[in-house]
Amino acid sequence: MALKGLDIFKLSPKKNCKECGSPTCMAFCMKVAQGAADISACPYFSEDAKAQLSEATAPPMKSIKIGTGAEEMVLGGETVMERHEKTFVNKTRYADSLCNCMDEATIEAKLAEVPKVDYDRIGERMYAELIYVNYSAEGSYDYVELVKKAAALGRTLVLGCTDVEVAKAALAVCKDSKPVLNGATPANYADMSAVATEAGVVLGVSGADMNEIYDTVKALEGLGNKNLVIDTTGATVKETFANTVQLRKAAIKDGDRTCGYPSIVNLVKVAKDDLHLQAALAAVFTIKYGSIVVMQEITYSEALPLYGLRQNIFTDPQKPMRVEPGIYALNGADENSICLTTVDFALTYFLVSGELERSGVPVNLIISDAGGLSVLTAWAAGKLSSSSIEKFWKEADIEGKIKNRKLIIPGKVAVLKGEIEAKLPGWEVIIAPREAVELVKFLKDMQANGEA
Amino acid sequence: MPFTAKSGKFNASIKTVTIGTGDKAITLGGENALPLQSFDAPFANAPKVGIEITDFGMEHEPECIQKYYEGCSTIGEIAKKAASFEGVDFLSFRLEGGDPNGANKSTDELIAMVKEVAEAVDLPLVICGSKNAERDAELLGKAAEAVQGKNALILAAKEENYKTVGAAAGLAYNQVVGAESSVDINLAKQLNVLLSQLGVKPESVVMNVGTAAAGYGYEYVASTMQRVKSAALSQNDAQLQMPIITPVASETWSTKEATQAEADTPEWGDQERRGIDMEVETAAADLACGSDAVILKHPVSVATVSKLIKELV
Amino acid sequence: MAKFITIGERLSTTAPAVNKAFLERDEEPILKRAKQQLDAGAVYLDVNIGPAEGYGPDLMKWAVQLLQSHFDNVPLALDTANMAAIEAGISVYNREKGKPIVNSADAGSRIEYLDLAAANDAICIALCNAEGIAKDNDERMGYCQMLLERGMEHGMEAEDMWFDPLFLVVKGMQDKQMQVLEFIKMLSDMGLNSTGGLSNNSNGMPKTIRPIMDSALVAMAMMQGLTSAIVNPNDLRLMETIKSCDVFRGNTLYADSYLEI
Repeated sequence: MALKGLDIFKLSPKKNCKECGSPTCMAFCMKVAQGAADISACPYFSEDAKAQLSEATAPPMKSIKIGTGAEEMVLGGETVMERHEKTFVNKTRYADSLCNCMDEATIEAKLAEVPKVDYDRIGERMYAELIYVNYSAEGSYDYVELVKKAAALGRTLVLGCTDVEVAKAALAVCKDSKPVLNGATPANYADMSAVATEAGVVLGVSGADMNEIYDTVKALEGLGNKNLVIDTTGATVKETFANTVQLRKAAIKDGDRTCGYPSIVNLVKVAKDDLHLQAALAAVFTIKYGSIVVMQEITYSEALPLYGLRQNIFTDPQKPMRVEPGIYALNGADENSICLTTVDFALTYFLVSGELERSGVPVNLIISDAGGLSVLTAWAAGKLSSSSIEKFWKEADIEGKIKNRKLIIPGKVAVLKGEIEAKLPGWEVIIAPREAVELVKFLKDMQANGEA
Repeated sequence: MPFTAKSGKFNASIKTVTIGTGDKAITLGGENALPLQSFDAPFANAPKVGIEITDFGMEHEPECIQKYYEGCSTIGEIAKKAASFEGVDFLSFRLEGGDPNGANKSTDELIAMVKEVAEAVDLPLVICGSKNAERDAELLGKAAEAVQGKNALILAAKEENYKTVGAAAGLAYNQVVGAESSVDINLAKQLNVLLSQLGVKPESVVMNVGTAAAGYGYEYVASTMQRVKSAALSQNDAQLQMPIITPVASETWSTKEATQAEADTPEWGDQERRGIDMEVETAAADLACGSDAVILKHPVSVATVSKLIKELV
Repeated sequence: MAKFITIGERLSTTAPAVNKAFLERDEEPILKRAKQQLDAGAVYLDVNIGPAEGYGPDLMKWAVQLLQSHFDNVPLALDTANMAAIEAGISVYNREKGKPIVNSADAGSRIEYLDLAAANDAICIALCNAEGIAKDNDERMGYCQMLLERGMEHGMEAEDMWFDPLFLVVKGMQDKQMQVLEFIKMLSDMGLNSTGGLSNNSNGMPKTIRPIMDSALVAMAMMQGLTSAIVNPNDLRLMETIKSCDVFRGNTLYADSYLEI
C-alpha cells in the first residue's frame, strides 16, 4: 500500500524551514510519497516518526511460517477483507485436538482416528494439518508423552500450554518440527517469549479481552518478538467472532501493525461437545478470518464440506479452479457405458457430475483440457473445439479404454456435432440439453429408451 | 493502551421486510453492519431459519429425515410437525412436483396442498416454485392467490417470469415477492429495479441471489453475496438493500456428501451426520456472507443453525 | 469507491427568475427548480444567493429551511460572498443527509472561508487559485498544499476539503485543458476529493454543443479521479455520462436499468 503524502505530513515537523530544499513540509512530504525525495533529507523528522513510516510501508499482516519440510505452511499475509477484492493467499488451517485431561483410551482412539481423514480434492491434499495439544493443570496424562505421541502423527503441533516449565519440556521433544507454542498471556509473556525464541518457534498470544491481547502483543514486540499468532478465542462465541473480525479489520483497513498477525480460533473452548455447531462455526471462521481453527473432531463428516468450502474461498478469483482431464466413471460406469464430455472448469464439472450422479445412469464423464474455462468461453476462445477433442481422444487413448461409441456433448456447443463426427469416425454425437439441471431427465429418458 | 476498534457501522442499512402475520410474523433485514457483525451495530433482526417440506411429503426424503415425521400421513400433518421443531422461524413449502420435466402434477392438486399447508400452520410461509420458470409463472400466481392475507413470501420471480409472478404476488395478492437470480450480481440488481418499476414496493421484496453447496463453486456465492452487501451498505445502493433469503436444503441434500450410503463409502462414516454437517456448514457460510434467512431441512440442522445465530448475533 | 457527487447549480442569482424569487421570498419558483434538479439525480443543491450584503443571513436561513423541509433534508452547498450568511445558513441546517458545503474558499482573499468551514464542521470547496489564472500545475499544487495545511491546522479532515482545479474555458484557453486534467490526477493520487464548475469549459459555445463538450470533459475528468462536480443536472447527456462512468469506475453496480435509477 503506497503511503499517502498526507499520512507522512501528519508525522512531519511542520516547520517549513526549507532545509530539505522544498518550500514547505507539505511539498516535501508529497515528494517523499511519490518517491521523489528521501525522508533523510529532513533533519527534523523524529526517529519515532521514521519508525512509524517504515512500519507503515510494511505489509499490513505478517506471514508467519510454521511446520517443516512438506508440512511447512504459511499463515496470514492477507491484504484484503473479502476475496473478490483481490484474493486470499494463505488458507485457514484446521487443527484436531488432544488434551492431557483425556483418559488414555480416548487419547489412543483419537490418535488412531486422525490419520483416517486424508484424501485428494481437485489436486489438493485434505487432512488435519495441525494437532492442537492442550495442557490442563488438572490433566492426569503426562503432557510431554502426549506431545510425543501427537508428534508421531507427522502433523504440525500447536501446544496450548500456559505453564512455562511444561512448555519448555514439551518443546524439547518437538521443537524441530516447528510447532506453535500457544502460551503467552499477560502474566507470563516475557518468560514464555524467551522459551519460544530459544526453541525457534512461533508464539501464540492470548488474553481475557482484546485490550489485554493488544497490550501483550505490544509488550512482546517491545521485547523484539514479532514471530506471533494471536489467539482470539474469547469467553463466548460472540466475543470470539468479534475479536477475530476486529483484529483483521484493524490490521487490513486501519493499518494497525500490532493487529497484523494470524489468528487462532479455538472452537473446543466455546462450543465444547456440540460438534455440529463447531462445524458451522468452522465454516464461518473460514470465511471470516480464522488462520488456525481448532476443532474437537475432524472426521469426514466435518471435513468434506469444510475443506471444499476452504478450497472455494481461497481460490484466486483471477484463476478458476480446474479439474484434471481424464475419464471419470460415474454411477458404476464401465467401458460399455455411454460417454459425455465437458470442460475442465471446476464449477462446470461439479454441476455436471452432480446432475449425472443424480440420474443414476452409468456414464463416462470425459473431461478434456479446455483452459479451465466454462463451455461457451472455452468454445469462443478455441479451447473447446472438434480439434481439441480429437487431440484429447488420442492423448488419453479414449478409444482403447472405452468400447461404447456414443458421445454426449454440451447443448451450448451443438454446432460442433458435425465436425466432431467427422474427426472421430465411428462415434455418434448426441446433443445434451443446454442446462445441466435438465440432464437428469435427459439421461433417464435415454436409459428408458434403451439408448444409454 | 487499549485496543480501539473502529466502528463498522454504516449510514445505510438493509431494508426490513416482514413475512407472515400476527405473533409469529418475522422481519428480515434492518442491519447497518456487515453480516453477523452485530458488534459493530446491534441488529434489529437476527437472521431467521426456515424448514422446508415439499409436495412429495416424505416420498423423496432420505430415511434420516423421514424418521422425524413418523405417523404423519397428510401434507397438513407434515407441515404441523415441521413447524414444531426447535428453532423453526418459518415454513417453506416447495412445489417440486410442478416441474414439467418431473412429476408434472396438476395445478389444482398442488394448490390444494398449498391451502392445506397454510391452514395447518400459523408460522410465516414461503412458497417455493418448481424451478421451471414457465410453470412457476402460473403456479406461483395461483399459490399467491390461495394464501391471500397470509403475507407469504413467493419464491421466486425470475428474469423470465417476473412480470407474471411479480404482478400476481406483489400487486394482486399483496404477498412478499422473492427475486431470484443465480449468482449474477448485475441481474440481482436489475430484477429489483424491474420489480419496483412494475410497482412492487421495495419493502415487499426479498432476494435469492443463488447458492451452492459448500465446495461446489461456493466462491461465486460468497463473492456475490459479499458484493451485494457491500454495495447496499457502503455505496448505499437502494436497489440492493433488500434482505437475502437462501434455500440451502435443496442444494446440499443432493450432493454426494449427503446422499452416498455408508455401505458404499464406509470410511466416510454415518450418512445422517454427513448430511447435517453439509447443511449446517453451507448455511453458516451463507449467513457469514450475507443471508438474512436460510431454508434447511433436517431438524438437527435447524436447531444447530438457530443456535449459531443466537450465539453470534 | 463512492459514487460521483453532483451538485446542482441551477439555484443561482445569476438566473433572473431565481434572483427575483430570492428577493421576494417566493417559494414556488425555487421549489420547482430544486425538484427538477433532484428528480434528475442531483445529490447536493447549490444555493447561490449572490453577494447578498445585509439581508444575506436572513435569506440563506430562509432558503435552507425551505429546501430542507420540502426535500427530506436535502444536502446543500451554501454559495455566497457573505460569510455571515453562510454561518446563518449552517445554524439552521440539518446534517442528516450530509454535511453542508461552504462554496467556496481560495488561496487568496477568500482563504478565511476555509476557517469558517472548519469552525462549523462543514465541507469546503477549496479553489486551487489565488489571483488571476494559475500559470502551471506547480502553482496550483502550491495553492492546494497551502489550503490543505491551513485546513488541517484548523482541525479539518482532508476528505472534507474538495479541491477545485478551476475548469477553464476552451474558447480562449484550449491549450490549458490537459493541464487541468493532469492536475485532477495529482489530486486523486494524493487521495484528495475534488470538484469544480465543469461547464466553464463550454462557456460561449452554441447551446447544442455544450452538453457534448461537458459530457466529454466529465468522462475524461472522472478517468483522472474527479470525485464531484457542480453541474446542471437537467443536462440529460451529462448525467447519463456520469452514471456510465460511475459503472466503469466501479462506483456503482451495473444493472440494465442503470440509467433509470
